[in-house]
Amino acid sequence: MFRLSATIGLAAVLALPPLALAQQAPPAAPSWQQGRPDSMAASPLAPHAPRMTVTAPDRLPTSALRVPEGFKVEVWAHGAPGARMMAEGPNGTVFVGSRTIGRVYAISEEGGQRRVRTIAQQLNQPNGVAVRDGNLYVTAINRVLRYDGIEGKLENPGEPADLTAAFNLPTEEHHGWKFTAFSPEGRLFMNIGVPCNICEFDRDRFAMIVSFRPDGSDRRVEAKGVRNSVGFDWHPTTRELWATNNGRDWAGNEMPHDTLLRIRRAGEDFGFPFCVGDWNDPAASERRQCSEFAQPAASLGPHTAPLGARFYTGSMFPETYRNHLFVARRGSWNREQLSGYDVAVARIGADGNVTGIEPFLTGFRDEANNRFLGRPVDVLQRRDGSLLVSDEQNGAIYRISRQ
Amino acid sequence: MILRDAVVAAALAAAVAFPSAAQDAAQGAALAEARGCGSCHGAKGIAEQPPMPSLAGQPAEFVTLQMILFRERLRDAPPMPDLAQGLEDGQIEDLAAHFAALPPGPPPDRGEADAGRAGEGAALSQRMNCGVCHLPTYAGRAQIPRVAGQREEYLVHALTQYREGTRRGSDTNMNAVMYGVTDAQIAALAHYLAQR
Repeated sequence: MFRLSATIGLAAVLALPPLALAQQAPPAAPSWQQGRPDSMAASPLAPHAPRMTVTAPDRLPTSALRVPEGFKVEVWAHGAPGARMMAEGPNGTVFVGSRTIGRVYAISEEGGQRRVRTIAQQLNQPNGVAVRDGNLYVTAINRVLRYDGIEGKLENPGEPADLTAAFNLPTEEHHGWKFTAFSPEGRLFMNIGVPCNICEFDRDRFAMIVSFRPDGSDRRVEAKGVRNSVGFDWHPTTRELWATNNGRDWAGNEMPHDTLLRIRRAGEDFGFPFCVGDWNDPAASERRQCSEFAQPAASLGPHTAPLGARFYTGSMFPETYRNHLFVARRGSWNREQLSGYDVAVARIGADGNVTGIEPFLTGFRDEANNRFLGRPVDVLQRRDGSLLVSDEQNGAIYRISRQ
Repeated sequence: MILRDAVVAAALAAAVAFPSAAQDAAQGAALAEARGCGSCHGAKGIAEQPPMPSLAGQPAEFVTLQMILFRERLRDAPPMPDLAQGLEDGQIEDLAAHFAALPPGPPPDRGEADAGRAGEGAALSQRMNCGVCHLPTYAGRAQIPRVAGQREEYLVHALTQYREGTRRGSDTNMNAVMYGVTDAQIAALAHYLAQR
């Protein structure tokens, strides 16, 4: 059973009227308009504009940010427009991917200050960054580049090894940006999002999490029916894969919920485009029994856009955070009242079930004025146990530590 | 789902990001003069010759984003990528403020409207929901450009590029929207919008 948040009961789900499919002119197009009912045709909701210019430190929303008592949040780095996914090298360099601005940043500590370098540019949505054996892997839609010994040549990274042909990824751009991470066994995992809002597609090519050997060989399907997962991590003790997943747009303010997935067995099917938990999507091309599919571990709220998610394994935070999952929720666009725009903690019980979702870093969302001050995309635990949070809208990275 | 207009309008007005650093339209005007922007885009931001786009009244965020895409060589529209090299973020924001402040209007050489093609374009626009993002007046907002009164041949060029996948915006929505749209439909849309 998919647990919905207290405010959205099952009755509300069942009470949703059947949605009429919009009849659009271009047939079978991978269009964002698909699944948009006539009743929402005039909705003015549209994706928020990204900001690709540098936000000066005194314009960052740092003073509005809130963390639980005993923690503090401060600016760790700024001047990295579009900063998204993060990965740390063996020597402590933090590599940061982006989307629209096409850059990969390297942020290093020099004399107590952070130095931001652009080490790659002109890439097409290089969202995926992962480090293994001192080598940086950058994934930009279907391109996979490896920068060997990157921390020894930040000033002049040189030409990377091009692994694009070996990985042979789909070239579709819509939801084609990747989250990448190396598993405990050393395989490179990534999402392959669905190239539309909701549509008919090859379920053996899209809406998946897949893994490869680092050279791009031996592709394996790790999860299916996952619309677009742009963040995952492995439980520190069970080694199960936990992934965030973004639900579709244009099904109303309260549906569907974005979800947290616990993948217990490789290849599990989570039901997209047919089901989200026990919600049978009326826009899907056919009706399926939702009980056929693996169920989400938790709801992360409608349209909240949960992205980067990492288990906390450090010793700086209280023991009560150990082995629980921090989730960055970038925040909604397809919802009249903004939702998300925070970092939450998914509490995971001894039995591996989620016992609650708690706010941890808040203040990016100005509820009274229904506006946002920043968009958290990823979280990264550093070796000292502090937690970094990237803010794509402001090109900044915050550090959360114990006071 | 019932959308109440007032709620929607409030959400639309308010769901914007924290304002960026203060931009200076006067500095932008001086920079535009020094860089000779007007020789192609018109002295007052209204392009007088094909195939240049008019920039007067474009949302500042749209101009800023496009200039960044040029500078980063992520959008190819010669000679703009070369012209954008070396521009600081603040200079780009000043330029954007300048062009956003100029009063928009049609180009001086705009022809007469063809009622048939304009009607076809209007129906297409309605069906494709163009006015949802670009607003019913097609004045644009934030990263979404003003298309009302834009040069017709430029609109054909831009819409074709989106359809062919040779141009993308700050996301890929326009590519998805234009998927499968025919040349004749693009021509009708461009004519309708240029006449707005």
